[in-house]
Amino acid sequence: MMKCSLTLRFVISLVWTVWLMLPTAAASQGKADEHATLELISEQDALVRGKQFWIGIRFDLQEGWHTYWMNPGDSGEAPRIEWQLPTGFQVSDIQWPHPERLTLASLADYGYEDQVLLMAAVRLPERFTEGESTKIAAQVHYLVCQDVCIPGQKHLELSLPVKTSAASSPSRPLFDATRQKLPRPTPRNWKISATSSGDEFVVNLKADKLAKPVQFFPLHAEQIENAAPQNATELPGGLRLHLKKSEHLLKPITHLEGVLVLASGNAYQVRIPVAQPRSSHSQSNN
Amino acid sequence: MKCNPWWNLVAVFMLISSAYAVKVGDSAPDFQAMDSNGQVHKLSQYHGKFVVLEWHNNGCPYTQKHYESGNMQHLQKEWMSKGVVWLTVISSAPGEQGYVTAQQENDYMSKVKASPTAALLDPKGDVGKLYSAKTTPHMFVVNPGGVLIYDGAIDSKATTEQADISTAKNYVSQALEESMAGKPVSTPTSRPYGCSVKYAH
Repeated sequence: MMKCSLTLRFVISLVWTVWLMLPTAAASQGKADEHATLELISEQDALVRGKQFWIGIRFDLQEGWHTYWMNPGDSGEAPRIEWQLPTGFQVSDIQWPHPERLTLASLADYGYEDQVLLMAAVRLPERFTEGESTKIAAQVHYLVCQDVCIPGQKHLELSLPVKTSAASSPSRPLFDATRQKLPRPTPRNWKISATSSGDEFVVNLKADKLAKPVQFFPLHAEQIENAAPQNATELPGGLRLHLKKSEHLLKPITHLEGVLVLASGNAYQVRIPVAQPRSSHSQSNN
Repeated sequence: MKCNPWWNLVAVFMLISSAYAVKVGDSAPDFQAMDSNGQVHKLSQYHGKFVVLEWHNNGCPYTQKHYESGNMQHLQKEWMSKGVVWLTVISSAPGEQGYVTAQQENDYMSKVKASPTAALLDPKGDVGKLYSAKTTPHMFVVNPGGVLIYDGAIDSKATTEQADISTAKNYVSQALEESMAGKPVSTPTSRPYGCSVKYAH
């Protein structure tokens, strides 16, 4: 009996060791800005009245550190940006590039390593004095994590002259590269639907030409189990993707919303209608 | 029982599958763990009472938000005065952020004036994995019948900022209030927010 439980413990710890292989810990804490450098940048070198232009917060992350997507996954927190703009300026929502899946132990987070640009479009009012310099500011609340997490807050400013025309700033290539990572609208020739089946959602995607999907990133936190493998199988004229339901999902959902990233690297916004199982009693939600 | 290696495998699979089986509405799985005073606690010994499980890591900024503001201590006092059992669980592995010895935990609790029923030391992560505890904090509420009635975040504002506490909806208090009033829990689960639990690598 004794021997058995010892063997058992060994086997259990071995299994967990194999399962939970993690990046190294080395918990050297400090301030958030020791691990992430933030800068407020503009795609143009000047502002033109009545026109739209793009600004963004560039995060340069120290190796091994990451920050988060709009849905951070199992842990962490998305950055929040409070814009401080002159009167009459209008700013869009953040355009989030598709994230990477970051696995930690039995968890999966959605975020960014190395570098990310969180961009937003700004529209200037028609009435605006040319020749002046205009200050745009942002208060950024963010979290950087390695194994440990550090919250940070940064006030950033950018002054740009108001002119009748604008040229590209040195940051233009980063804006262009980031646009490649923004989810595109669902292609019109796609037929995408899902069924709720036991503990998983089965997504069927029909399209003429298709690269295998790498990953589905859910927009909502409580729909799928983030750390579960997402198995994809090819079907004639399409593919099928298996997503494990979240344990926090107690009610049937009508749509799965998120971003589908294909092997090509292209990301697409998807809003997938979910058909419930035919027998109504198979989903009890007490 | 003969010590057949297959039983080990079966046990491991049971362990793994049970780690994914904690679900609101089901019986909360029983566990046994030692607290910072060397006393052993079993969940089942609290049958007949509400039990709150609070996953904890004193180095995590999300845990610090709720302790430096006094919010967690206040919740502990408030609910324990109404007969609730409050178990703080520390699943950080040795060498990881938040790992504490019994003495360190007692010193910490007296320093921050925390007064849970017990602080359970779970350095192997057995209780954490049994409940699939993901973050610190990650909160669970068990009703007097031993049924899990809440699994998720402490409140509705997933930030590290103390100022957000007063305007957030506290899901633990809500679950306890509603359940004590004989009502169904309106938010039985939510995404827990915080740092990942620092299990052994």
